[in-house]
Amino acid sequence: MPKQRNSITPKGRYWILYLLPALFFYVIFMAWPLLDSLRLGFFTGNTPATRSFIGFGNYVKLFTDETSRTRYWGAFGHTWYFFLINMVAQNCLGMLFAVILTNPTMKGREFYQTVVFIPTTFAVLVTGYLWKLLLNPVWCGDTLVRMHLGFLARPWLGDQSTALTCVALISCWQWMGIPTMMFVAALRNIPEDCIEAADIEGANAWQTFWYVKYPMILPVVGMITILTFVNNFNAFDVVFATENVNGAPSYATDLIGTLFYRIGIAGQHPIGIPDAGMGAAIATITFFVLMAGVVPMLKYTQREA
Amino acid sequence: MPTVNLPDSVVENDEYERKYFMKKLFFMLCDCALRLYNGGATGRMAVVCIHKEDTMKKFGIVLMLFCMCFALFAQGTKESAASATEKVTLTMGSWRTDDVEQMNNLLAAYKKIAPNVDIKFQPTNPPDYNATLRLQLDSHTGPDLMYARSYATGQELFNAGYFADCTDIPGLMTNFTASNLAPWQMPDGRMFAVPFAAVSHAVYYNKDIFAKNGLSIPSTWEEFLSVCDKLQKAGITPLANGVADEWDILECFFLGMVPNFVGGASERVKYESGEKKLNDADFVAAYQAMADVAKYCPKGFESVTYNDSQVLFNTQKAAMFVDGSWTAGVYKDATFQWGVFAIPAPKGRKTAICFHPDMAITMNSATTHPEEAKAFLAWLCTKEGATTASKNLPVGYFPMINFEIKLDDPHANEFLALNAGKETDARFVWPALMDLYAPMNQAVIKVMRGEITAQKAADSVAALKK
Amino acid sequence: MVRTLHQQHRHVASHFVMVIWCCIVLFPIWVLLINSFKTRLTIYTNPFWIPRRWNFDNYRSVLREGDFLTYFKNSLIVVLLSLLLVLIISSFAAFALSNWRGKTSHGLYLFFIAGMMLPIKIASIKLLELVRSLGLLNTIWSLVPIYIAMGLPIGVFVLTEFFREVPHELTEAAIIDGSTYFRVFVTILLPLVRPALATVAIYNLIPFWNDLWFPLIFINEESQKTLLLGVTRLFGQYQTDWSKVLAVLTLSAIPVLVLYLSMSKQFIKGVTAGAVKG
Repeated sequence: MPKQRNSITPKGRYWILYLLPALFFYVIFMAWPLLDSLRLGFFTGNTPATRSFIGFGNYVKLFTDETSRTRYWGAFGHTWYFFLINMVAQNCLGMLFAVILTNPTMKGREFYQTVVFIPTTFAVLVTGYLWKLLLNPVWCGDTLVRMHLGFLARPWLGDQSTALTCVALISCWQWMGIPTMMFVAALRNIPEDCIEAADIEGANAWQTFWYVKYPMILPVVGMITILTFVNNFNAFDVVFATENVNGAPSYATDLIGTLFYRIGIAGQHPIGIPDAGMGAAIATITFFVLMAGVVPMLKYTQREA
Repeated sequence: MPTVNLPDSVVENDEYERKYFMKKLFFMLCDCALRLYNGGATGRMAVVCIHKEDTMKKFGIVLMLFCMCFALFAQGTKESAASATEKVTLTMGSWRTDDVEQMNNLLAAYKKIAPNVDIKFQPTNPPDYNATLRLQLDSHTGPDLMYARSYATGQELFNAGYFADCTDIPGLMTNFTASNLAPWQMPDGRMFAVPFAAVSHAVYYNKDIFAKNGLSIPSTWEEFLSVCDKLQKAGITPLANGVADEWDILECFFLGMVPNFVGGASERVKYESGEKKLNDADFVAAYQAMADVAKYCPKGFESVTYNDSQVLFNTQKAAMFVDGSWTAGVYKDATFQWGVFAIPAPKGRKTAICFHPDMAITMNSATTHPEEAKAFLAWLCTKEGATTASKNLPVGYFPMINFEIKLDDPHANEFLALNAGKETDARFVWPALMDLYAPMNQAVIKVMRGEITAQKAADSVAALKK
Repeated sequence: MVRTLHQQHRHVASHFVMVIWCCIVLFPIWVLLINSFKTRLTIYTNPFWIPRRWNFDNYRSVLREGDFLTYFKNSLIVVLLSLLLVLIISSFAAFALSNWRGKTSHGLYLFFIAGMMLPIKIASIKLLELVRSLGLLNTIWSLVPIYIAMGLPIGVFVLTEFFREVPHELTEAAIIDGSTYFRVFVTILLPLVRPALATVAIYNLIPFWNDLWFPLIFINEESQKTLLLGVTRLFGQYQTDWSKVLAVLTLSAIPVLVLYLSMSKQFIKGVTAGAVKG
């Protein structure tokens, strides 16, 4: 039902007042620097002195040069995989936890809720280092063998086939609290009468969830998906802490975030000469990919609500 | 759409509300500003805000204005403080966060000579060093003195105008050999840094384990492999090296070993010019050598980091560790006897040592205290300065100056003794082939994992040479 | 009754799932804590159990070599101030955007949302110059405007959603009773979107507190460093000593953890309260 508007609604000029502080900070400290840096995507060279305009040269090089191409598509693919694992493990589990935690007759909910959120309060660097130690066979290998758990003493983070999955799961472990919390809030906002009505109709838990609760929290689900999507495409810290900037082993954990850092800001170790223009080009492409994912998702979930 | 005509009283109310709010805000601002000034606890203020939700918004606006005033106020006091004293404070940037203690000793020693100059050592973690230094230099907020990386990386920063020209620092051109100056020299002969320390690479070995198993130092590569074999049969991990951190297997092991297979500096230039191919028989043999030692590395070496390797050696779980001289200090309190020997060359070839010029110090061309910075650099070029510096360098760093400097630590001298009678060279890719660092690194790791053959590895690197 | 049995059954499974997850969460933390009290080499020989000999030296040297209280105070000031301002500014903006229908408004909304999608790191050079020209370099105040700009997109995004959910009848009724939009905003709407405010606050608290990048490039002065920046230098210094690294990690994780645990009751209440009951 469209909201009724009447002649007492203030005109745009009134609302602009409310928006001024936000616009002030946002434009000066985010929009303008970002746009200026995106502009760099059309240039080459690292300092104002050595900069020169090359049009779409960076983009062409990114997709035609052998090394650049493999690195980019590799990072792109890995980021999608990372996002998938996060969606499945983090958000589905988060939903499950939220459903469990909003069950009114269950005891100990507050304790569980508190515990679920604890890893989210840590810095990514802290979790990264911690899990790096935990997954290191040199540290616990002998003890595990003694405990007859020798099969766990594998080089999880050193093996190309398991490294990315492990890093993604570490990220889930850390951020699980946020979707859980938001789903709990959303589920609690569902009016009691809807649930009662479903109960009276004789629906079981599963049906109640799918046909009553889930549609009502769809906007929140959409929001969480979008936030996960965006954060995964910018993920950098977790790989930086558990592996290194190159996305070891053999670029298996290279994400768009690490690729950008390596090319645009730090430069390939140990040479250390970045290519700011190329980095900006990568960032621009990422931006459009994100827009392409977020806008349809927003439209879909907003309309349903 | 239905419209509602509101009575005029409501409309007037609107404007009155707005005016009244501005007045209220102004008085609250003064009131809170006075309270804050007297109380002086911004933190407490902020905590109070969380608990009092309804007054939260008001305090928030006040805080924002207060902070903006504070920022301007703070700027003022800082400037006045700086002009009051004559003391000069220089900052030194570096990637060596491990050396904080030693560098502080060194700088304290310099303070005795130049009492009005205070140099602060502010290292950044190695992974962040390049990026943050670059950002700071770009915005003219970099440190006054800093460590300079050699060859291309340093040259690029000099070309960008960040490093000062050091050519005319007294003692620089005269007290160092040409080969020691080369890493920090531009093609036209100008110097952009003062050489500070070089490092060496060798095999650390556990003397006790060797004695117990009746082993002696191998003199050829083949003997080395058989020593590894004997150790493995005795149930001891022969080598502590892993590939998780990636850089260590290349810089310490492969590049430390490559001069044995391809020759020293005189041969290296042939590869650089293209006269010799990077996938010739010598290189393939080198990659094959790495493939051969993989089975002697710890089980799960794919996850063994550089620090893990040190622990393995230190806890005597591994008998040998091919590493650089800079970790000699880690084993200072080891409970066992240890020594070093040069990585042996295959039979029929001459053993060469990879003695790599690692660190130099330079000054920021935009520094506000060029005289004092230059004075420090000049001090490093004198005999007294270099000796003091060497005495305070961490174990495993060697001075590059011409003067005879006796080091105190026996292990350091052991390292230096390895150089006797052997050709030395910097790490192979450093002078002119840095672009091949990453591909070579990956090739070595893949070969050790058994994913590709030595020939393929050599081919993959050779294909990328321009 | 069948229903009671069903409920009981569900609870067993639910408890089982939650207990497993709690173990997965708490075990690494247990490892972190106990290993920080061991020595460099004993964490390898005795990884999972409590130390045979408690070693407090790690904490002693870490506290001595790093000025933890200063770092902590700096982080606290920066984060609390930034959060406060983000909440105020974005709730104002969200209120405006949710009520103002029109192409400009929709455009502005998308403009704000777009900020969530770009890594602000690429603008670092420009931001560094900006901060320097404002004279805020090497102080903690350089971080506040950046964090506000960082937190605004998510704030606007979440709050606009929640404001839109509020039925317009509420506002209309109040307006007809003679109130202004501003009054309605402050006294009626803000309390209603408290869960959203809590969400935005929590969502931004973590990146603000744990941010390493901007303190790294803006601040060199020891007395102005934030907590995480201060401790990362120690990582490099202690990289060969895992037990010290773990002590550093514990010390840097404790502040937010303690804050969270002490406020968890209010936090949960805040997040789950304020529903618009029919």
